Amino acid sequence: MSYIPGQPVTAVVQRVEIHKLRQGENLILGFSIGGGIDQDPSQNPFSEDKTDKVNGWDMTMVTHDQARKRLTKRSEEVVRLLVTRQSLQKAVQQSMLS
Amino acid sequence: MFSRNHRSRVTVARGSALEMEFKRGRFRLSLFSDPPEDTELQRKLDHEIRMREGACKLLAACSQREQALEATKSLLVCNSRILSYMGELQRRKEAQVLGKTGRRPSDSGPPAERSPCHGRVCISDLRIPLMWKDTEYFKNKGDLHRWAVFLLLQLGEHIQDTEMILVDRTLTDISFQSNVLFTEAGPDFELRLELYGACVEEEGALTGAPKRLATKLSSSLGRSSGRRVRASLDSAGGSGSSPILLPTPAVSGPRYHLLAHTTLTLAAVQDGFRTHDLTLASHEENPAWLPLYGSVCCRLAAQPLCMTQPTASGTLRVQQAVEMQNWVRVHGVLKGTNLFCYRRPEDADTGEEPLLTIAINKETRVRAGELDQAPGRPFTLSISNQYGDDEVTHTLQTESREALQSWMEALWQLFFDMSQWKQCCDEIMKIETPAPRKPPQALAKQGSLYHEMAIEPLDDIAAVTDILTQREGARLETPPPWLAMFTDQPALPHPCSAASVAPAPAWTQPLPWGRPRTFSLDAVPPDHSPRARSVAPLPPQRSPRTRDLCSKGQPRTWLQSPV
Repeated sequence: MSYIPGQPVTAVVQRVEIHKLRQGENLILGFSIGGGIDQDPSQNPFSEDKTDKVNGWDMTMVTHDQARKRLTKRSEEVVRLLVTRQSLQKAVQQSMLS
Repeated sequence: MFSRNHRSRVTVARGSALEMEFKRGRFRLSLFSDPPEDTELQRKLDHEIRMREGACKLLAACSQREQALEATKSLLVCNSRILSYMGELQRRKEAQVLGKTGRRPSDSGPPAERSPCHGRVCISDLRIPLMWKDTEYFKNKGDLHRWAVFLLLQLGEHIQDTEMILVDRTLTDISFQSNVLFTEAGPDFELRLELYGACVEEEGALTGAPKRLATKLSSSLGRSSGRRVRASLDSAGGSGSSPILLPTPAVSGPRYHLLAHTTLTLAAVQDGFRTHDLTLASHEENPAWLPLYGSVCCRLAAQPLCMTQPTASGTLRVQQAVEMQNWVRVHGVLKGTNLFCYRRPEDADTGEEPLLTIAINKETRVRAGELDQAPGRPFTLSISNQYGDDEVTHTLQTESREALQSWMEALWQLFFDMSQWKQCCDEIMKIETPAPRKPPQALAKQGSLYHEMAIEPLDDIAAVTDILTQREGARLETPPPWLAMFTDQPALPHPCSAASVAPAPAWTQPLPWGRPRTFSLDAVPPDHSPRARSVAPLPPQRSPRTRDLCSKGQPRTWLQSPV
């Protein structure tokens, strides 16, 4: 049982919808993203959320640049993310015990 | 020449064994071959049975009232269709067995009785006025009493339905957007219209009581499960089962009641709107009773095939001028109320203007004749029309006696069709092909986590826990594979990686997942790893093929960007 990048995986996910803020001429989300399939994950200071999908676009196998581009499209005002979190699994485990 | 009304017959090879059997009277051809219409009907019946199974399953899985209403409607339509098709199959089998005794297919001769052509019947712009009494406005204040209604339409064995509409006391009419088209109607058609309705809220006078009780219960239950109970009650209830307990899927769904019906025939057909009476079928005690005014407005149009399709076509010769010698060869097409004479056969399709158009209507008189003056082609067809005081006669030459016979036959059939279809043959009534109806609001897939995931900001992980408890059960003992995405280090024994591989605490074995390797157009980090040295470097033009695990070098960066 392992996670092999490039292979399909089933995960517990959470759906998040974010409306972009207007800052001057731009629409921004207000946070930063890090990582990408071309980045070194061992340097990741956080291991909180992983984004699976942005507005239907698959994010599981994207480079940092591609991810950034998909989140900052000018034409989209709302971003719908599918996010997976380690804590979701804890939630599942907790519910198993109770 | 082509003539619509000649049917082709099943042929049996002369001298074949099959023919011998027929001659011996062993088999009847009609029993031997299954008419294609029957297999088509059987196929439709099988389809409806499958649809009905699907609708039952969907109904059992529904948790919201509106979904249940749509599913119940589908079920009702399927059931009606199944009954109708089975009845029709039965009728056909009986006709086959009883009607065809002694008659061999090789018996020729014109049919003793003429049968009229079929047509398309379309009903659209259906509107049913309502008549709310004053009391309705003051009764159940606050709660808007709502009904779900739809129309079931039947012509012959074909059943169609309109979309489901939600009605409340703010509406003055029930208006359906659907156009319903029946393609195989005879002039003696009977279009039965049935209006079905169901309450959107739970039926029964006890709607108030369980809600109060449930609210009391919900506050004593756990926070999230209590919220679930309340949420399910607020969203128009479960599928008919008791709302006091946590909702359990029940197979019995909402019930539709017949509210009104009527039957429309050829007499009701008109190229415009007409109002017809409705026979009311339910009374005030019925939970789904609606205050109907008692009539239905609609546009019922019919297009007999003789008006829209050519009934005969072939070569004719017409007189250009009064002199008998000047006969011009034309391609005649008999369609609707006209005989079009085109210069060339292709003109009929390309939309060219015909050389001559002769009107054919109920008043037209047609005579077959023989001309001695025109040797070689003596067979003529005379068509006379009365225009005011004048009578205009066109004389046309046909190619042969048989051709003349065919033309006469086609004209007689047309006159017969006109007498049967009556007002539908005065002018072609426009029928719009109904646009494919949008399926009902996408029903959330049951079993999907997303359906339940309406996590408000103040909700915490406890809400997720509850939902997951329902879904996942107690299956998960070992950590699921996707958690591997969150390990800090790759588990693959990596000679070059700086830190030692430390698998996540829950696992005892190293995970053999490889570091993701993609080729990015972005800057490629320098290659320091001994492992990567053994792999030949790839050309830089290669676009990021994220599915390839190509080894190029290990990325050394962790980029962050604001979005």
